Amino acid sequence: MLAALAWRNLWRRPQRTILSLVSIALVTALLVFMLSFQNGVYGAMKSATLRIFDGYAQLQPHGWADDPTLDRAIEQPRALARQAEGLRGVAAAPRVNTFAILAHGERSYGAAVVGVDPDREQRISSITSTIETGRYLAAGDSDAAVLGVTLAKNLDVAVGGDVTLLGEGRDGSVAADVLHVVGLYHSGVPDLDRTILEMPLARAQQTFGMAGAANTIALGGSSLAVVDRAIPALRTLSRRAGVSVLDWAALEPALRQGIALKYAVAMMFYATLVVVVAFIILNTLLMSVLERTREFGMLLALGMRPGQIGAMVWLELLGLALLGCLLGLLAGGGATLWLEAHGIVYPVDPRLLAQFGLPTRLYPALTPFSALFGPVALIAAITVGGIAPYLRVIGLTPALAMRAP
Amino acid sequence: MGARLAAAIVVAVIAAPWIAAATPGPDAEAILRKTYDNYRSQSSESTVAMTIHRPAWERHLELKGWTRGQDDALVRFTAPAKEAGSATLKLARDTWVYNPRLNQVIKLPASMMSQSWMGSDFSYDDLAKSEEIITDYTHRVVAVSQAAGHSVWTIEATPKPGAPVVWGKVTLNIRDDYVILEETFFDQDMKPARRMTTGKVGLIGGRPYPVSMTMSPLDQPGQWTRTDTGDARFNAALPSWLFTLSNLQNPR
Repeated sequence: MLAALAWRNLWRRPQRTILSLVSIALVTALLVFMLSFQNGVYGAMKSATLRIFDGYAQLQPHGWADDPTLDRAIEQPRALARQAEGLRGVAAAPRVNTFAILAHGERSYGAAVVGVDPDREQRISSITSTIETGRYLAAGDSDAAVLGVTLAKNLDVAVGGDVTLLGEGRDGSVAADVLHVVGLYHSGVPDLDRTILEMPLARAQQTFGMAGAANTIALGGSSLAVVDRAIPALRTLSRRAGVSVLDWAALEPALRQGIALKYAVAMMFYATLVVVVAFIILNTLLMSVLERTREFGMLLALGMRPGQIGAMVWLELLGLALLGCLLGLLAGGGATLWLEAHGIVYPVDPRLLAQFGLPTRLYPALTPFSALFGPVALIAAITVGGIAPYLRVIGLTPALAMRAP
Repeated sequence: MGARLAAAIVVAVIAAPWIAAATPGPDAEAILRKTYDNYRSQSSESTVAMTIHRPAWERHLELKGWTRGQDDALVRFTAPAKEAGSATLKLARDTWVYNPRLNQVIKLPASMMSQSWMGSDFSYDDLAKSEEIITDYTHRVVAVSQAAGHSVWTIEATPKPGAPVVWGKVTLNIRDDYVILEETFFDQDMKPARRMTTGKVGLIGGRPYPVSMTMSPLDQPGQWTRTDTGDARFNAALPSWLFTLSNLQNPR
């Protein structure tokens, strides 16, 4: 009965109600789209960054992240990688990771040396596809190496040249090798281009006395989300194998913090928006309540209890918020889904976007959170704010109210 | 009475610095200088066994070392077979390594100087910057104690402002016959990071010498490197071709 009354009351002033609905719907739609867009951009940033070298997750020996020494090793990397690949959509690539002195002629530099399985690596790391000159490593290579363009420039070595590698083996003995440069990569990340040499896994295991062991297993797959979903299964698997799983946030803590900070700033903006709109709607309703003081007095005189009238007013507000949010959700969600299918071309220099690891076409990503945060926040704010008109209504007495102007 | 007390105070205040100066503490820098002279002399030639201990394994290496003045050093490994022929040459601030398998001399990049030397708990910097403790630090004798019939100075060395050093502080225990007994390296947070201790003092080349020394990184339990000096000659005339790149690659 109260709901029917509230609904009828709303449409006694259709103009005002529609205006209120439009403002709620617009803000809701905006929040749905903005959050989805942020989701999409940060998602693209995450996968673009992780795809270059880290992988979406990694299996590492315990303590490796804090103290990466050859001593910490995965003894059966092949078996473990196969098990990880048993999970749907997950690819795995064992690596030997160490440091060595690289020398060419008179020049020498310290570098990170990574032993990789070329075929498996291609499913994880985009370094394999950013070769600027020459070629990437191939199955069957032995004394081959690919270097970042900056590292090659520092060493003054080109494709076809040899680099000498001097480091330390797992048993503490001297590890030395001469490798033939077959390709130079340009990942676009200066730190990588300056520091990483990749060589065939088997050769690295031999040179550094790893005897079939690896230091890390990089995990990739069809998407970051797929690998993220596989993390619990990977944890079970790694517990049995006695290794650690590092998800994307553990691999790139700076990226995680950066994204969290941007979300926090955006949330402050969204909260302001929600509060402002809630106040506008409340103001409108409060005015309508003031206008109807005489009417409420009449209702009281007819025997309606003040609490019932208050509930009726509150229901008007709630109905307005629900309807407005539903419309906004449909409009915002629809627009977001359309853009998710077609992409948004950002009108800036693609090179600038590439610097942040972003593609030229950006796609928002509608998730339950991005869809529901706006509506839920608005409805909650308006519902709580509804206490003000409610308190005003239950304070009315029939005699005084009926004499109101 | 009051005047006499005041006079006594005045005398005490004026005289205090003089009294302090009358019993000068030992000069910390001179002690260090003498210790290093005793250790290396004008030149030295020594045979050393090196034991590298890890929780999982232990390795034994043998090497011959030559030093000239405070700046130049050549180290050549003689055993085991896998490492025999590997050599390190240090001239002033530059360091080269020779690897017999590659038959190649490689100059160490500055970024690698803090890396482990031949898998031991010594770094290339330990080899190259042995003078650093004298030149880049200010020194102070903080304690004098007695041990086994010797007095032992405890010297605290703090980096000079702007000195390119990695340690926050170094403390050294030095015996009154200028033999180093212990050296502790503190990190920038003033926590002890690694310690070198002298296990045995013997007579080598007619002088007291730290025969057995052990370096332990304090954050890695069960890990240390010990050097045992078998034999040494001091102040012998060493040929100058010893400290050259060509001798590093093709020993005469």
